[in-house]
Amino acid sequence: MTQDVEMKEQPQVPATAAAVSNSVSSPTPVLQHLKEIAALIETGAYAREVRRILRAVRLTIALRRKLKAGVVSTFLQFALVAGSEAHTRLSAYLPKDDENDMEVDTASSAPQATVKHSPELEIYCYLLVLIFLIDQKKYTEAKACSSASIARLKNLNRRTVDVLASRLYFYYSLSYELTDSLSEIRGNLLALHRVATLRHDELGQETLLNLLLRNYLHYNLYDQAEKLRSKAPRFEAHSNQQFCRYLFYLGKIRTIQLEYTDAKESLLQAARKAPVAALGFRVQCNKWAVIVRLLLGEIPERTVFMQKGMEKALRPYFELTNAVRIGDLELFKTKAEKFSSTFTSDRTNNLIVRLRHNVIRTGLRNISISYSRISLADVAKKLRLDSPNPVADAESIVSKAIRDGAIDATLDHANGWMVSKETGDIYSTNEPQLAFNSRIAFCLNMHNEAYVKIKLWDITRFTPRIRRSDCFACGSVFPPPVPSRLPHPAIL
Amino acid sequence: MDPKVTQTFERFKASLVRNDFDTCSKLLSQLKLALIQFKSLPPLFADGPTAVQELTLASKYSIPRDIFEHAVVLSVKMEDQDAFERDFFQLKPYYTDVGPRLQQSPQEYPILGLNLLRLLVQNRIAEFHTELELLTAAALENPCIKHAVELEQSFMEGAYNRVLTARQTVPHETYVYFMDLLARTVRDEIAGCSEKAYDSLTVKDAKQMLLLNSDQELFEYIQEEHPEWEVKNGLVFFQKAKDSAPCKEIPSLQLINQTLSYARELERIV
Repeated sequence: MTQDVEMKEQPQVPATAAAVSNSVSSPTPVLQHLKEIAALIETGAYAREVRRILRAVRLTIALRRKLKAGVVSTFLQFALVAGSEAHTRLSAYLPKDDENDMEVDTASSAPQATVKHSPELEIYCYLLVLIFLIDQKKYTEAKACSSASIARLKNLNRRTVDVLASRLYFYYSLSYELTDSLSEIRGNLLALHRVATLRHDELGQETLLNLLLRNYLHYNLYDQAEKLRSKAPRFEAHSNQQFCRYLFYLGKIRTIQLEYTDAKESLLQAARKAPVAALGFRVQCNKWAVIVRLLLGEIPERTVFMQKGMEKALRPYFELTNAVRIGDLELFKTKAEKFSSTFTSDRTNNLIVRLRHNVIRTGLRNISISYSRISLADVAKKLRLDSPNPVADAESIVSKAIRDGAIDATLDHANGWMVSKETGDIYSTNEPQLAFNSRIAFCLNMHNEAYVKIKLWDITRFTPRIRRSDCFACGSVFPPPVPSRLPHPAIL
Repeated sequence: MDPKVTQTFERFKASLVRNDFDTCSKLLSQLKLALIQFKSLPPLFADGPTAVQELTLASKYSIPRDIFEHAVVLSVKMEDQDAFERDFFQLKPYYTDVGPRLQQSPQEYPILGLNLLRLLVQNRIAEFHTELELLTAAALENPCIKHAVELEQSFMEGAYNRVLTARQTVPHETYVYFMDLLARTVRDEIAGCSEKAYDSLTVKDAKQMLLLNSDQELFEYIQEEHPEWEVKNGLVFFQKAKDSAPCKEIPSLQLINQTLSYARELERIV
């Protein structure tokens, strides 16, 4: 992204844009939009400006509902040289209809056909056709098209293509997922990830890592997913969406591997960071987060289940939470059975099974709070333990709960009693002071971190040559300097 | 090649029945060496015209898979957990990766259950659950798998006597070895829990609870594992960990340090 390249290309930019807007005598508004996007991509490719291409992709997504076969094929004729390999291949995927539309547009775009198109535009065409095919539910064609596009991508090494490529990877995986053949492309994705790593294509790495994790988790291969995740290179996230996905997959892996505290953090962060529009994703995050919190012995607040648009989807989890909160083993069992189909489709069934232990704990805690002394037979009855030897079961369950610190009590084996200890006055100990200290430390730390981020954002924004990682490397950023004494980079 | 492998395998099976472990391990190494030469077997999975033929070695069930299944059983009989892990991982691709292309092995669920049990014994609960996720709903209903899953649940809950009674209901004779190991783990767990839950226990109760046969065994166990326990007047006294005592004096130095650091941070902000 050198300065002089931009300067040279500058005059061309408005020229091409103007040419495009002139030549388009608005056959359809969608086509006109597409042509504008194409111009944007061409400019971005010449100027090596990744952000223009990013914008083009965003605009395309906004258009996707309005795409029609006729429009797409006309656009292909406009964008690609007729008879070129890409053109013939891509047109073959499109259904032949809307003859009228096509004729009109061949006429209008005929002079454009001689212009040599950039690789970016070609890749963009692949992307457009792929999105169109997926939206039209033509999954077999989508599969073929995506595989062709991936083959084409392998020969291209341009930073401006990276953005388009990362989108293509995503749809490539999606088309295979929709035809339920994800395992076929695992090797390919791994190879692509390796190439992206070698080319320092961080966006591509990010996307591909997520796709691979998704691929593994689709087949419940948590072990492989974790091994890949822990060994893949990590860097600061480029795309918020990809980061959310990564957090979600990470949360899932950690849940399965019983690292509940970390899992909860990832899942909640994923749910918070996800865009408001991604309702399905947020519902999934919340479902998992609810279970993880239950497994941690927490009871999620009612507001979690009452979020807009989620009430219905979270209903089974809400009722399950209620059963855990009360500590009623029977109720828990009926709820788990009642919603077992939901849990199976969410693949949370095994986690629900793990919850049984928490239900017992909660029940036991309630008993320990209510009674200062209770016989073990009564404990067994209250917990509704169904076993041939409930008293012995209750005794060992209680003793384990005592050891794990869930309840504060002692057992009297001779009499078969559980004696709860008086809860001492916590304010007579050092506890509150320690808790207070850790909260203050957290707040101060948060302030410092936010400060460093803002500072770095300023620096990266106004002096493009300094990359974030460089600033972290120099080590002079922390403790943060006072802002007013630094000359504002914009003034320089 | 093929007849040679099958012949060696027959001899291997025969000596396994005779519990002749030396011959078994020798033959097993030969068999494994022979299997490496087939390109379409894991880990290469080369797809060729002979792939299916090599996978099955022209038999109703896959012979390579059969060999590894027997290897797993051998390692259990020899009570070698490391060998078990190795052999199991060599066997696993036959269940997961090429599974759909073969007829299901009658040994599959017993061996998967055995592996779950091993992870439980070695207290590798995270891996236990990772393996569990790979199983289908049908597999979870299988008595061999169910046995291991229920054991894990009882173990987590603390219903240790249920774990011990499960020994009588093992679904497969190979499970006994791991169940015995599990009993040992359970004893340590019970000891750990009792220490926190009781002030004292009579020697008789302690003996019964820790599943020991005689007073002598109990004393030996205490000597080895928990020398801090005290045996007096026919009672076992556990040493209690001290509770957090009410704070008698103000930890002044610590407080001064903390306050100073707050002041420093605040100065930076304002």
